[in-house]
Amino acid sequence: MKPIVIAKNLTKSYTKGIRALDNVSLTVNQGKVLVVMGPSGSGKSTLIRTFNGLETFDQGEIDILGIKLDCNHNERKIQRIRKRVGMVFQQFNLFPHLSILENITLAPVNVQKRHRSEAEEYGMYLLGQMGIDSHAKKYPSQLSGGEQQRVAIARALALKPELLLFDEPTSALDPERINEVLDAMRRLAKQGMTMIVVTHEIGFAKDVSDQVLFMDSGKVIETSTPDLFFSNAKHDRSRKFLNQLDKN
Amino acid sequence: MFNINSIMIFIQKLRNIFFSNILNTIFSLVIILLISLAFLNTFEWIIFDANWKVVTSNLPLYAFGSFPSNEQWRPATWIISLLLLSIITLFGPEWKWLRQNLLLTWISTIPLGLYLLYGGFGLSPIMSRHWGGLTLTILLTTCSSLFSLPFGIILALCRQSSLPLIRKLSSIYIDVMRAIPLIAVLFFGQLLIPLFLPVGIEIDRVWRSILAFTLFVSAYIAEDIRGGLQAIPNTQIEAANSLGLNQYQIIQFILIPQALRIALPALTNQSIGLFQNTSLMAILGLVELLGVGRSILANPEFIGQYIEVYVWLACVYWLVCTIMAVLGRHLEHRMTMNQANF
Repeated sequence: MKPIVIAKNLTKSYTKGIRALDNVSLTVNQGKVLVVMGPSGSGKSTLIRTFNGLETFDQGEIDILGIKLDCNHNERKIQRIRKRVGMVFQQFNLFPHLSILENITLAPVNVQKRHRSEAEEYGMYLLGQMGIDSHAKKYPSQLSGGEQQRVAIARALALKPELLLFDEPTSALDPERINEVLDAMRRLAKQGMTMIVVTHEIGFAKDVSDQVLFMDSGKVIETSTPDLFFSNAKHDRSRKFLNQLDKN
Repeated sequence: MFNINSIMIFIQKLRNIFFSNILNTIFSLVIILLISLAFLNTFEWIIFDANWKVVTSNLPLYAFGSFPSNEQWRPATWIISLLLLSIITLFGPEWKWLRQNLLLTWISTIPLGLYLLYGGFGLSPIMSRHWGGLTLTILLTTCSSLFSLPFGIILALCRQSSLPLIRKLSSIYIDVMRAIPLIAVLFFGQLLIPLFLPVGIEIDRVWRSILAFTLFVSAYIAEDIRGGLQAIPNTQIEAANSLGLNQYQIIQFILIPQALRIALPALTNQSIGLFQNTSLMAILGLVELLGVGRSILANPEFIGQYIEVYVWLACVYWLVCTIMAVLGRHLEHRMTMNQANF
């Protein structure tokens, strides 16, 4: 089992002493899926954004794919990590002035210096995998939310990443569109992709994840297997949260 | 479409709006009378009273200034090629190769124009003091626009820089330029730049004024672009960061294309303003379009025919400004065609 992400004692505080991350440690092994859950403001997004350098932290260290990050934000190391780690955002964040295919080939061509024709071929293959290759020439605003999010996943995959980060990928979608994105993520998990997913989708977490991490106020409340967590959560706080989710 | 019924409804509407009661009727009649009197007088003047000889006999002067008459085909070729290019851009076919190369063609009209005016390489050389008329006005506009756009983009980026010194310097430059009237900058260009330059180096008057316009307009363009940059959500930069793009690639591929699109209406506005402001050079001794008008009025043969000359010049300025505005709108439309949310 090769560990892909090892985080040790991550702590980040904002001014006024509010802690976004409070002594968070976790390990994700190759080919595994970690689901991060918790109420809003619990620090889940902050946590996964530290893994590709979008957020800094004050204490602790992270080892991602053998590259060690500490609280001194080392740009060069972060750049190396970003070339090997893909990220999918809640609001898709596609580039509105570029066509779907250009969105996907931008990084391979300019960051990895691959040939345009090769990058386009691989981009079309990825769009085919996501079932949206017929939209390649269109622009993001011409697509539905679910389609845009699948483009965003294809864009993250275009760099052939070894780890994928998902920051609430289905929270901005219509209920009817959620499954097309979750199905794409399920297929990725089956293909052995290592993923860290912040989500409230219990069904997805039960089916796909190998490990569930529950956070509140920047602290890790509990870490367990999905079976245990959803049937028999140890902590009151987790049970309360799950009850709330069930009611909705 | 045009049947009796709809005309009747239209007349009924007019009657309701303009003649619904006595007071309205009186107002409407008086205003209609005044408008028709004004129109009548104007037309009478245009057709019977005005002496258009001051325009018709000097057409080459208005177009080319004192460019030698046997070489006037050169500026004529340039202006006609610009006109043709405008027509192709607006009404031309949707061939992909054509549309992809249009921008490059537009930029290449500037070296073409300079070559045709300066001569050399097979054409007889002509000094810039012989340039004039509409040709010079268009040359000043196009060159200053072309130079001030990149300069303005750099200023806008510097103003957003994370280095305090660069940020401060560019914002001081922008604030100072915006605090000085254009005419002062142009005087500076004409009178002071020659003093500052080392002996033996001379920039001719046309280039000095292009330099002054560029310095001035780029400060305004920088502010337009900054508005565009600030309208781009931070999440775009985050997405680009997470794809491993570096700072310069983010500027080149994400920020500048989007900022230009947002700033486009303001940029069209700037270039139309620039075109009109080139007329200030008439005071500083360049014989551009307005300068030609003034020198013709100084000719004893045409003395006192101010109205004819200025009405004619107004029409020419209006025509060129309209073409520029239509081109700007066309560009806006093209850029946003596929992006409803953008």
